[in-house]
Amino acid sequence: MVVGVLKAAVFFVVLSSGSLSAFLTRMANERLRVLEEVEKDIAVVLQCAGNIVLELSKDKHNASHLDRQLVQFQTSISRVENELGAQIRYLTQVATGQPHEGSTYSTRKDCQMSLNRAEYAKVKLGELGRTCEAMLEQQQQQI
Amino acid sequence: MATQRVLPQSKETLLQNYNKRLKDDIKSIMDNFTEIVKTAKIEDETQVSRPTQAEQDHYEMHVRAANIVRAGESLMKLVSDLKQFLILNDFPSVNDAISQQNQQLRALQDECDKKLTSLRDEIAVDLYELEEEYYSSRYK
Repeated sequence: MVVGVLKAAVFFVVLSSGSLSAFLTRMANERLRVLEEVEKDIAVVLQCAGNIVLELSKDKHNASHLDRQLVQFQTSISRVENELGAQIRYLTQVATGQPHEGSTYSTRKDCQMSLNRAEYAKVKLGELGRTCEAMLEQQQQQI
Repeated sequence: MATQRVLPQSKETLLQNYNKRLKDDIKSIMDNFTEIVKTAKIEDETQVSRPTQAEQDHYEMHVRAANIVRAGESLMKLVSDLKQFLILNDFPSVNDAISQQNQQLRALQDECDKKLTSLRDEIAVDLYELEEEYYSSRYK
């Protein structure tokens, strides 16, 4: 009986150690990731422009280096324009101008109450386990 | 006490503004960069003396480079505004995120309650045996 109670106490320690927030993992939004890539492309555009002007300032230009930088400049700037235009077109279709009224509050509250029940059961089982151990020690002392 | 209320800009106007900013900034970068490359070309015949022309070209390149940087920063600001607008107004992805979180929370709640119920059943069996032992002993 005591072993079963202690096993239950161990189970509740394991269950309640994972907090509620550990189960609420952030969902990576693909569109936000694309916008992060666009920011990097903007930096690449400025860097390529600077490299091209730096190369032109030299007495002897490296033509292949100039070509590579120019191609990268054109590719990056067209990618920036296309991606941002696509995002704006998408937002034109889905945006309503109204605030979103969805919420996870009710399910979060229910889950929190369930974890509270588990925590309460853990506390009570712990008390029962300590009481059983105290009784066993008392009996051993009497013997 | 009269409160000052700021009317929000309509969705269409805001997105048109974003479009305009995008086109203006891209055009600014391209135009200024093209002009810098044109200015880098050394001409044999100039209207003013070479040092004066060099000084003018130097100043023009500085201004155009600053314009390119300003346009780049304006594009970064635009991306930041788009991110904010996306987070607040992209209802399909917000709905997906909410339903996924609800699903995870319900799964966790069901698992927890199922284990509590099975634990209750096991303890009830043990308690029945303990009660039998106790009520048949001299300590009752």
